[in-house]
Amino acid sequence: MQSLIVGDLRIEALEDGVVPALQLLWKGKSNSRHPLEMLTPYFRDVLAAAAARGLPLELHFEKLEHFNSSTITSIIKLIQDARLRAVKLVLVYDSALKWQKLSFDALRVFAKDDLLELRIA
Amino acid sequence: MTDFHFSIDLPVRSEWSNVDLLRTSVLNCFAAIFSDVEGCRALAMVTGELVENAIKYGDWSGLAGLDDQRFRLRVWGEGHDAHVSVENPVKRGDHNAEEVLRTLGWLRTFSSPAEAYRARLLDIAAAGPEPSHSKLGLVRIAYEGNCRLTAELVRGVLHVQAELTV
Repeated sequence: MQSLIVGDLRIEALEDGVVPALQLLWKGKSNSRHPLEMLTPYFRDVLAAAAARGLPLELHFEKLEHFNSSTITSIIKLIQDARLRAVKLVLVYDSALKWQKLSFDALRVFAKDDLLELRIA
Repeated sequence: MTDFHFSIDLPVRSEWSNVDLLRTSVLNCFAAIFSDVEGCRALAMVTGELVENAIKYGDWSGLAGLDDQRFRLRVWGEGHDAHVSVENPVKRGDHNAEEVLRTLGWLRTFSSPAEAYRARLLDIAAAGPEPSHSKLGLVRIAYEGNCRLTAELVRGVLHVQAELTV
């Protein structure tokens, strides 16, 4: 999988054979005006790759400095698209960072089955 | 130092790159004042979301000259109480300005900002993502920033203010 760089955001794709998942490591800041336009095509490819390999998709936010509310909307769309494709999605965050704890705790509202897991790093 | 006051008052050009410049500036300034880093992050997030809204929804048609390409950002407070305020011009009859006022009224119908935030997340999922109109930023300010939000629309200027404790 390719990595993605959009403005101040870098998403590094990792598939190391140690962790049985396709991992996306978020770094920097997601502060684009239109993150949906940037992220949706990338997420589509990543979901297709995860589905083809039969792997869950793990998004790691621990190193992310900041995201804007439009990015949260993009993550909601990813949650929905992953569920449609029956790809397990794992969102990993740092609960010691208050902003991450608040943001991701709230996303538990979508964790209604095994296809979405919110995991504290 | 107990009666210590702080204030930032800026005319800001309506350019997207200014969102992060201002957010990080506020973060750095207040990290130099307060020991509560998480509180400073919240203040910076509030600033970023309000500035984003001003740039997205302000009237930047420029019909009235260069000054109309700017909005006013103020961050001020005393002790650990902070206020962030953004004032920007809006078009006559602009539905986004009315939507801001409606969103704040909607927020008050919930027993807590957390409950309102979760409801807005579900609304976004149900409606399909329309980030330009979700007003999630305002609800996030109330929830993550634990802010009290007020807004008024006077003579074509939308004034949104958030109050929080750092």
